Amino acid sequence: MLNGAILLLVGFFGAMLTFYLNEGLGQGPVRSSAMLSLGVALFFHFFPHITDPYIVKNIPLVFIGSSFIGMVSSRLVSNYWLIGLAGTVFCIIFLNTSRFFTGYGGALGISACISLLAILSIPIVTKKHRLTNGFAILRKMLFKIRRKQ
Amino acid sequence: MLLTASSFFSKFAKKKVTPFCYMNTRKLSRKISIIFLLAIQVIFLFAIFREHLQSWWSVISILVICPLILVAYLRGQLHHHEHQYEHVLVVCWIPIGAVSSFYLNHYLSLGPVISASAVGFTASFLPVFKKSSEYLRQLPAAVYCGAFIGMSSTAVAPNIVFVLTASFFTAILIIVSKSLFSGVGGKLGTLAFAGVVITSFIYYLISAYA
Repeated sequence: MLNGAILLLVGFFGAMLTFYLNEGLGQGPVRSSAMLSLGVALFFHFFPHITDPYIVKNIPLVFIGSSFIGMVSSRLVSNYWLIGLAGTVFCIIFLNTSRFFTGYGGALGISACISLLAILSIPIVTKKHRLTNGFAILRKMLFKIRRKQ
Repeated sequence: MLLTASSFFSKFAKKKVTPFCYMNTRKLSRKISIIFLLAIQVIFLFAIFREHLQSWWSVISILVICPLILVAYLRGQLHHHEHQYEHVLVVCWIPIGAVSSFYLNHYLSLGPVISASAVGFTASFLPVFKKSSEYLRQLPAAVYCGAFIGMSSTAVAPNIVFVLTASFFTAILIIVSKSLFSGVGGKLGTLAFAGVVITSFIYYLISAYA
């Protein structure tokens, strides 16, 4: 449970930090993702006994995966909380990932892409008048059916 | 949300649909690429769904994520309107990234994260050699995409030939999907994953029927 919470936090901050380096400091997507991931991975490579082996094994994987989310362009999303949330969603997918695709290169990337797409749809779904318009369409449909009866 | 989705579909249904035979090549390749990438993502989620059927939490999460992805595909500003192809000289760097990452990962036993990030970090300095060069500016992404292929385990990618084949398929996908998912994080990983999946499927077919 605690390990899961730590990984969720890593996902959250991994995505946010990469986005800050990418857009805030203008380092570009590739360098910001690779530099942070390399730092985290080297730290756990040289200090493998610092904490629980499960954490040591998974933090670099979660971090590099969430850093892919931080590679997003500010044209699409510029809210740090949404990016952190996408990192958390990525971590949930990572923790439940399929054994069938274990060891496939790019699996972390596709998980990151899926979580980012899910988060990108939130502003679309929660846009003002979008739901009310949906209810209006439903009401219109229901009244039409009643009139026909 | 369901209502929103239904209104999208009704809009699409009202549109005049052009048959595939009358579409130009760019439009066709654009549509095929989008459908293919969506299919790959759905397959990936379906594999999770199938393996975690006993966990309600996982099932609900996936059932929430799937419609959200569909909404992002239909309404998100993910793609450029004009479809363009990536230059072959840019995607030539994918095998270089893949092989170097694979070498660091398996021959020097540095692990997938260190090897991919080291290759990506090194590649990110390529534009420094000539800052005005548009070509050099495109290389870090191509090399980093290749590095994801090199992250594959030996159970999936047993040798360099597999890595080169996966790089070839990924290169084709990158060429046709230049205008798609522009600025979306994880695009490179998705394409690398698709390349590895296609290659392992071909390897499976060869081993089953040869």
